[in-house]
Amino acid sequence: MSAEILPFKVADLSLAEFGRKEIRLAEHEMPGLMAVRAEYADAQPLRGARITGSLHMTVQTAVLIETLTAIGAQVRWASCNIFSTQDHAAAAVAVGPDGTPEDPKGIPVFAWKGETLDEYWWCTEQALTWPAGDGPSMLLDDGGDATLLVHKGAEYERAGAVPSAADGDSDEWRVVLGVLRRSLSAHPAKWTAIAAQVRGVTEETTTGVHRLYEMASAGTLQFPAINVNDSVTKSKFDNKYGCRHSLVDGINRATDVLIGGKVAVVCGYGDVGKGCAESLRGQRARVIVTEIDPICALQAAMDGFQVATLEDVVSSADIFVSATGNFHIITAGQMSRMKHQAIVGNIGHFDNEIDMAGLAAVPGISKISIKPQVDEWVFADGHSVIVLSEGRLLNLGNATGHPSFVMSNSFTNQVMAQVELFTRTQAYPLGVHTLPKHLDEKVARLHLDALGVRLTRLTREQADYIGVPVDGPYKPDHYRY
Amino acid sequence: MGQAEPAAGPPRAAGPLSDIADPGLAAAGLARIGWAERAMPVLGRIRAGFEAEQPFAGLTVAACLHVTAETGALVNVLRAGGALVHLAASNPLSTQDDVAAALAACPGGTVSARSGADRKTYYEHIHRALDCAPALVIDDGCDLVTTLHAERPELLAGVLGGCESTMTGVTRLRRMAAAGALAFPMAAANASETRRMLDNRFGTGQSAIDGVIRATNTLLAGKVVVVAGFGSAGTGIAERARGLGSRVIVTETDPVRALDAVLQGYLVLPMAAAAPLGEVFITATGSRAVIAPAHLAVMRDGAILANAGHFDVEIDVPGLGELAVAVHPEVRPHADEYVLTDGRRLILLAEGRVVNLVAAEGHPAAVMDLSFAAQALVLAWLAHDHAGLAPGVHDVPAAIDAKIASLMLASLGTEIDELTVAQRDYLDSWRYGC
Repeated sequence: MSAEILPFKVADLSLAEFGRKEIRLAEHEMPGLMAVRAEYADAQPLRGARITGSLHMTVQTAVLIETLTAIGAQVRWASCNIFSTQDHAAAAVAVGPDGTPEDPKGIPVFAWKGETLDEYWWCTEQALTWPAGDGPSMLLDDGGDATLLVHKGAEYERAGAVPSAADGDSDEWRVVLGVLRRSLSAHPAKWTAIAAQVRGVTEETTTGVHRLYEMASAGTLQFPAINVNDSVTKSKFDNKYGCRHSLVDGINRATDVLIGGKVAVVCGYGDVGKGCAESLRGQRARVIVTEIDPICALQAAMDGFQVATLEDVVSSADIFVSATGNFHIITAGQMSRMKHQAIVGNIGHFDNEIDMAGLAAVPGISKISIKPQVDEWVFADGHSVIVLSEGRLLNLGNATGHPSFVMSNSFTNQVMAQVELFTRTQAYPLGVHTLPKHLDEKVARLHLDALGVRLTRLTREQADYIGVPVDGPYKPDHYRY
Repeated sequence: MGQAEPAAGPPRAAGPLSDIADPGLAAAGLARIGWAERAMPVLGRIRAGFEAEQPFAGLTVAACLHVTAETGALVNVLRAGGALVHLAASNPLSTQDDVAAALAACPGGTVSARSGADRKTYYEHIHRALDCAPALVIDDGCDLVTTLHAERPELLAGVLGGCESTMTGVTRLRRMAAAGALAFPMAAANASETRRMLDNRFGTGQSAIDGVIRATNTLLAGKVVVVAGFGSAGTGIAERARGLGSRVIVTETDPVRALDAVLQGYLVLPMAAAAPLGEVFITATGSRAVIAPAHLAVMRDGAILANAGHFDVEIDVPGLGELAVAVHPEVRPHADEYVLTDGRRLILLAEGRVVNLVAAEGHPAAVMDLSFAAQALVLAWLAHDHAGLAPGVHDVPAAIDAKIASLMLASLGTEIDELTVAQRDYLDSWRYGC
């Protein structure tokens, strides 16, 4: 990759107009972000903030980016997944609302659909590399890759060397080491300086939050972090309502089978599994749940679902959805015993819930690609299973992931967290924090009007009776929504 | 309402006096009927019309109905329209003695009904109602009409027609008509669209579940509930059991209804396969021995058996008795425990009779409102138009259905659109394609 600093890099600027139209539609469905723009239009709380974002470069993310800039921030952006960029959204962000493809006036965005791993980490590095040798003052992360690059870079600079890849290291890790090795020789103190400048990171997702807590407990975390993932208005929306929307959407787009009357197995009854089971039941499938946790299993039973082991039902069900966050959930052997043309898909974060490698290794198996993200795997005896999105998140691969309204909840939390960390840095010592409950409640409040919700207001006497302020927060921190 | 002094009402019918459990309960019964009438706005609107039009002036009605507060409201409406109504109970277990006393105390006919009456008394009561030589009949299960044909043929010539409330009764009537045995026109009041919707699906659906809960206090969430029959009543029961968190299994004999159940997401199994899985069984088929000894023999310990169908033959109760080594009656009110040889216990509710009436209070008054509104309007139609109707089973005219629905919508405060002239022309014409 060139060492030259580019203003941005996207697939095709001519897609900007299409992207701008979709952004305009999404803005209407993202009332929380638009309310934040209006509320902070004068105060400009992020004025002076240099935010590097690493988050799926989609239409919804474009509304997030332009919200951050609308309230004062400078922003550089990369996607956090090699496949998730919507090229028209990236183009529109690069061109900006006031620019043209010939005269782009947007923000520096480095993202396109179908990056190689080398390209992906180059993009991340570009987003973290600010003009005039500056670094970001804030990180906005999804999965923790930007945070990882800063931390590992600073760590190796302290050590004076980047280690060699070990046997068993993944291809991706070798790429990361390569990026940092080149950086160390060209700018030996670059990441140390960046780590010192960053006031904090706001992290979007479970995986990244997990990394942050590990770093915090190992004592290696360099700056404070806000765990956005565990805001109620983020996790419930993303996990439950988002998947409830997009699971059935993905199955329909991929297969167009009638779901009513079918037997559907949902592996896992956490928030994602609950949303999946509800959406399949809403289509009048007969839903069977598998669980390892007795509490979640009992919840499923009380909600009227049959709870079985996958072994019990593997040969009688029509649709299988894994939603566990664990791995090795649906094995190749189980897939070989499914009904002819059973549908198998995953909605968990990683692509290891369904044993795709094992399936490909079944003797005599062949794969027929029906259409993108829909493959029929034919066993030697002639019967087949239909696997969606090669075992990756089917709601993203076969549909368009979470709808704008869901992302408005997530991203309004992100903006709140950025404002908190940037303007009240001293209130957040080194460590991993969750957003205070009054901000969680505020995010919810900002979405009520769009739904025509009329909220009842506590009287002073009622508030005193239950011991909460009239304006909230209304629940103790341990409350389970 | 229904409290007029005897002197102010029409003259008492000649013929038998009432046979009721306790005349002293009349005041309580009047209050209960009054409560029901408040929840029956459709019938109230019809009553206002009848008082003016007197569609039954001079006519005698023999009615065999569940003697409940809602029936009391119907009787009052018919009496207000000029009828003499002689009422017998259609089920000894469902009779509310206070209602019987209240109706007996008011002018305009007699009541023959005692709760818990035995089989012999039950038929005696039907004969007492027939003694009035009715011009119109109202039946609930067809026992009155079959008794009339089989044992009182001398009265047939005087009967103008009647209406039947239940699917079970209509099935019997159609068999009678097919055999050429039915001597007068009978309207299938239960077959109206409004009735099927409200009474079977929403009324039985709610009250059958209510009966099971009252009789057992069992938590339905997480339970496997087997619903036998996926007609209107079975559909309603299955929907409500699902709503309470049960896992519902449906059994059917009709492939169309079974397919509907499958596409609604229910597991459909033969009863032989469902029997070992179920924890609560509710029959709603109109058939007999749907739960047979072979099924009972493989059920889980503690399984609950309830029938929401009209007759007590859907669960083979004698067969259950033969399987059992011990019976503990009334372990809770309306719940009898049958102990099998290996110690398993099966809980039979309401002796296998219609659980929503025995263990709960039957349909909510709002449902009965619609059902009885149909009967009142159908009976008025028969009184007026009987001459044009051949002996046999007749459907409720669509106009009556529409009128009932309109009255109920009005009582619910719901307004709907009216077709424009242009829309009506479009719908009526074969010339317009699109």
